[in-house]
Amino acid sequence: MILKPGKKDIKAIGYYLGKIIVGLSLTMVVPILVGLAVGEISPVVDFLISMQAGLLIGIILIKLCNTDCELNWMQGMVVVSLAWIAAMFLGAIPMYLSGHWGSYLDACFDAMSGFATTGLTLVQRLDHMSLTHNLWRHLTLFIGGQGIVIIALSFFVKGASGAFKLYVGEARDEKIMPNVIHTSRFIWMVSIAYLIIGTFVLSLIGIFGGMKPFSAIFHGACIFMAAFDTGGFSPQSQSILYYRSFAFEIATVIIMILGALNFRLHYHIWAGNRKEIVKNIETTTLFVSIITVFSIVAIGLNQSGIYPNAVMFFRKGFFQLISAHTGTGFQTIYSMQFVKEWNHLALVGIILAMGLGGAVCSTTGAIKMLRVGIIFKAFVEDIKRIILPEKAIVIQKFHHIKNVFLEDRQVRSALLITLAYLVLYLIGAYVGMFYGHPFLRSLFESTSASANVGLSCGITSPSMPAVLKVTYILQMWAGRLEFMSVFTLIGFFVAALKGK
Amino acid sequence: MIKRKFFLNAILGISTEVCYALFIMLAALLICFLINLKI
Repeated sequence: MILKPGKKDIKAIGYYLGKIIVGLSLTMVVPILVGLAVGEISPVVDFLISMQAGLLIGIILIKLCNTDCELNWMQGMVVVSLAWIAAMFLGAIPMYLSGHWGSYLDACFDAMSGFATTGLTLVQRLDHMSLTHNLWRHLTLFIGGQGIVIIALSFFVKGASGAFKLYVGEARDEKIMPNVIHTSRFIWMVSIAYLIIGTFVLSLIGIFGGMKPFSAIFHGACIFMAAFDTGGFSPQSQSILYYRSFAFEIATVIIMILGALNFRLHYHIWAGNRKEIVKNIETTTLFVSIITVFSIVAIGLNQSGIYPNAVMFFRKGFFQLISAHTGTGFQTIYSMQFVKEWNHLALVGIILAMGLGGAVCSTTGAIKMLRVGIIFKAFVEDIKRIILPEKAIVIQKFHHIKNVFLEDRQVRSALLITLAYLVLYLIGAYVGMFYGHPFLRSLFESTSASANVGLSCGITSPSMPAVLKVTYILQMWAGRLEFMSVFTLIGFFVAALKGK
Repeated sequence: MIKRKFFLNAILGISTEVCYALFIMLAALLICFLINLKI
């Protein structure tokens, strides 16, 4: 028998959702202050309107649903999935008011793309956008990369038990510190430390490349946020190609790889356990995966014969590969070059890279390296069982911060999530094919959306059908939250309709 | 003292992570040269 959600459930969900909306609205203070500093009054008004709307809705929810009860698992998961939808609607308001998006749906697409750190965009006339709105696009990456709920956990949510349920609901099931609120603050500390270093390095490269200091700092900060949070938005429509600098590309590749590492790994390495980087199952799997998939791409590009020397191979092939594997979505080639210049083998390599992703508890999307490593270990264990005598006891273990014995429970969980991602990739590809796009291009774009990558082979554009836009929005949302809280939300609505 | 130790460890930790990224890039560059030599 399914139990119908009670008034208590609705109140708890509404109360915590209100708090998260208030937290999100307050982040708009940053673009408002920057807008005032650079004298962009009209964009500041857009953000004031959006912030007021968000605060109003958030405060009404808090007052109406005021409760002191702690969240249970179901409520926590529903709050998280609804919070991401609320963030999309709220974040889209200033974007739509800017006039750079053709419709509110287009603005919602970009807001979800930003918060989910995807990087697919429907923006128009990007090169003429105000600094304030451009900053907001990149701030959505930074907020979404750390986790919308992490903001609320860091500042607004008291009580570690309820906080942990929200944290897990946002696809972050790794406890870095015993207290989840301290964990959230550590995630912010790592991100801000890297923000300062990364922005400094990128700005310096920009200044030496001939940019004005203010412009170099602005571009450095925006590119850092997009690279470390594996988002992929860029201040210019030509993405990283705009800078035409090898040093800038190298720095961006390093930041993308750092962004694809597990925050728990950052913690242990920063705490002095530096050998962990060569022992951890995620870093070893990431290395093997990148080199294997890059070999496929390189063979494909060699067959195409478009890049004359090793350096061009590296700048074009490897950059796109890392951008895909870490789920960032920066490009140093035009979207149509994927279709017109790259052959099918190279494209399949990029799709594979996008589908695999980076580390768990990082800002990347997709299947992720821990699951790939666990599935590989399970295969090895099964092969050993076949080869060795029947009486032999086969034990498989892996190293993830500590030595862990492989259990059926872990393999089952890894396989289920992997299967869910593969189904999601195929659903989007099917919708793309329904609108007349070839299979490989549809799969490319669908994988890019579901795995929160942001590379495009030209399908994503303001003129694409509304159904395809909504499909990609749902893929970005489900892919970012890793399904569990999305399934719980569906279950919640089913229970509300059919429960007793 | 503890803060200073953590700061030093953090700097060394960041360097370790950057070295890991550089190692991946070097391996990829090697592949580029090998492919370019048609090996």
